[in-house]
Amino acid sequence: MRNVIGLLFANNSANILQGLAFERSIAAVPFGGRYRLLDFALSSMVNTGIRTIGLVTPRQYRSLLDHLGAGKEWFLDRKTGGLFILPGAIQGLSAQGGKFRLKDLQLNIEYLQKDFCENVVISGCNHVFNINYQAALHLHASKQADITLIYTESMDSAAMAGKERLSIGENQEILSIQENNSPETTGLAQVYFADMLIIRRKLLLEIVEGYRAIETVDLMEAIQENLPSLKIFGVPFKGYFGTINSVKEYFDRSMELLNPLIRKEVLTGQDQIHTKIVDNPPTKHGAHAQVSNSLVSSGCTIEGEVHNSILSRGVTVEAGAIIRNSIVMQKCKIAAEANLNYVILDKFVKVHAGNELKGNKNTPLVVLKGSLV
Amino acid sequence: MQKQECMAMLLAGGQGSRLGGLTHSRAKPAVSFCGKYRIIDFSLSNCANSNINTVGVLTQYKPFSLNSYIGLGSAWDLDNPFGGVHILPPYVGDNEGSWYRGTANAIYQNLDFINYYDPKYVLIISGDHIYKMNYLSMLKFHKEKGADITISTIEVPWEEVSRFGIVTVDEDDKVVKFTEKIQDPESNLASMGIYIFNWSVLRQALLDDAQDPLTEDDFGKNIIPKEITLGKKLFAYRFKGYWRDVGTIDSYYNANMESLSGKDSIDLFDPVQRIFSNEDILPPQYVGPTAKIENSLISNGCVVLGEVSHSILAPGAYVGEGSIVKDSILLPHAKVHRQSTLNRTIVGEGAIIMSQCSVGMGPFSNPRQSGITVVEDHFVLGKGSVIQAGRNLNAC
Repeated sequence: MRNVIGLLFANNSANILQGLAFERSIAAVPFGGRYRLLDFALSSMVNTGIRTIGLVTPRQYRSLLDHLGAGKEWFLDRKTGGLFILPGAIQGLSAQGGKFRLKDLQLNIEYLQKDFCENVVISGCNHVFNINYQAALHLHASKQADITLIYTESMDSAAMAGKERLSIGENQEILSIQENNSPETTGLAQVYFADMLIIRRKLLLEIVEGYRAIETVDLMEAIQENLPSLKIFGVPFKGYFGTINSVKEYFDRSMELLNPLIRKEVLTGQDQIHTKIVDNPPTKHGAHAQVSNSLVSSGCTIEGEVHNSILSRGVTVEAGAIIRNSIVMQKCKIAAEANLNYVILDKFVKVHAGNELKGNKNTPLVVLKGSLV
Repeated sequence: MQKQECMAMLLAGGQGSRLGGLTHSRAKPAVSFCGKYRIIDFSLSNCANSNINTVGVLTQYKPFSLNSYIGLGSAWDLDNPFGGVHILPPYVGDNEGSWYRGTANAIYQNLDFINYYDPKYVLIISGDHIYKMNYLSMLKFHKEKGADITISTIEVPWEEVSRFGIVTVDEDDKVVKFTEKIQDPESNLASMGIYIFNWSVLRQALLDDAQDPLTEDDFGKNIIPKEITLGKKLFAYRFKGYWRDVGTIDSYYNANMESLSGKDSIDLFDPVQRIFSNEDILPPQYVGPTAKIENSLISNGCVVLGEVSHSILAPGAYVGEGSIVKDSILLPHAKVHRQSTLNRTIVGEGAIIMSQCSVGMGPFSNPRQSGITVVEDHFVLGKGSVIQAGRNLNAC
């Protein structure tokens, strides 16, 4: 895979997850116990064999860099290639959203200039998926495409808010790219851009150069504008594609991991999702622990009850505490007789003895990092 | 290269034949312990926590699993530019070359290696003990006493003294006598197989030992008693804390189970003296809707659908629906399919118990190896089998 490099945009900081993305970008939001969201996009590239990956950082990148380090857990501490941190353009722009902002690439143009590779795989970091790009790269090469967009089919157009709707011709060529402005569900499967694409490196350099004068253009806008003059194809991704646009969706996607089929597809298949290693001991289930239908990370101490929930590393659940339908992040302490239902606890939250926290299925209660409740 | 004050030589070549099926495919230090660990993690983590950065690991018996596990030592932060972990297998020289004939001979054959680093002190440890120790405290004692050799010791119950090398000391903790595994010794101060030598003393002792036609090339049997008779200054460092030799199925099983009881065991949850390991990245454990787990340690990547009580599950272990795993140890990626019952059983790495088996069943009157059943690595036990307690299930 020496002729492909990766480019990850980890700087989408849209304020859609209440407090969860308050001090971190969405890419750095903990997910599924021991992962962060960007692990899925990053591992997908690594599992494809890509060993040079640039990562555009968000404004608040402490937690992201703490997680990544030198990229060792993703085998990216290389002499040739490896992980490149690309500081994103931030001041004043963060509120404007955008997927793949050309401004960010202008600032980091050396990353694209100094490599000799043919193609660049670009991906967002806000979704739950496990893809191997081999098939898409193969099609990209055989069609001699300028750009190949990876798409997913969905009947739920609300979940695909912000995703471009594609129409595709007989030979897999892209006929049009439209904003998805109609959130009502039609009952028909539609084709949506999955925030992953392959582009010729030289073309990308031309686009970045060509739009240098305009501050806020997004790569997708540039592609849309030049659609007629480019050879653009689409490749379907038929696997699990979890979108996260709200706290409810974050909650639902998390809970879907309790489904063994989805877990197998995303986490335990041929290509594994890599993440930071923390060297915790195994989890201790005490004499009166009752755990059912839950994902539990290492280093937890459980004396109480945990049902239909996801526990991150190092969580303590004291005797008599009951956790149902909840997501509990790293190193939270749930004291005796506390009762949680439909709650998302960010890291380091302490719930005092006997307290009850309750959300509901559609609006889970979010408790901010480090809170004492 | 930065000169090291103290380097470690870690003896990891033993076969560990008393661990039966657990060491058929790997050396004892590479045997899984307490869920996610392997036995050698404790010695290597102690080195890392004691800031001893140069470690020679002497391997011989079935070293593949051990070598690949240790790698560059990065899992223990021991991959550093001025030392690091070095795997030292036996090798062939210009006109000689042989297997390591004993603990002393193994070090003797690697004198060049120690020479290269030319330390002031050499710490000799073994890769098959479970304990947490700061070797620097022992080194401090060694220097304060002006010792030539310091032996780390621990008081053991009198009824077990015949299993150990026993040290007799005077009122200043100077060693006056060392006896290896005899009945009715004079003291209950047991050698832990951990020594600090002044490098010059070690070098001379090994050169002399190599010339001795009657030697068994063993530190406990030959080197230490000889150095006492030569009038060298040997001192006994008294270690207080948890220490277990896991050389037999019985002691291996008990040391694992002690970690469940909490008190008087190795503290794995201690955030300061941490035990590191080279772990695979596996998803969090999944506990099924009808699962029941009590008083157990469960690792990453496990799937538990049945009942697990007072047991330890290593990474990637699987317990199927309706199965009951009691007082047992499942090693990495061991699988117990549905409706099987396990009692006091150690299931080896990648071994599979098919459905409706009963393993570790009575009659219990005086069974072998305290009624502990061992299923060897990668063994497949057919559907519906009934296995009596105390058996070893081997592939060959």
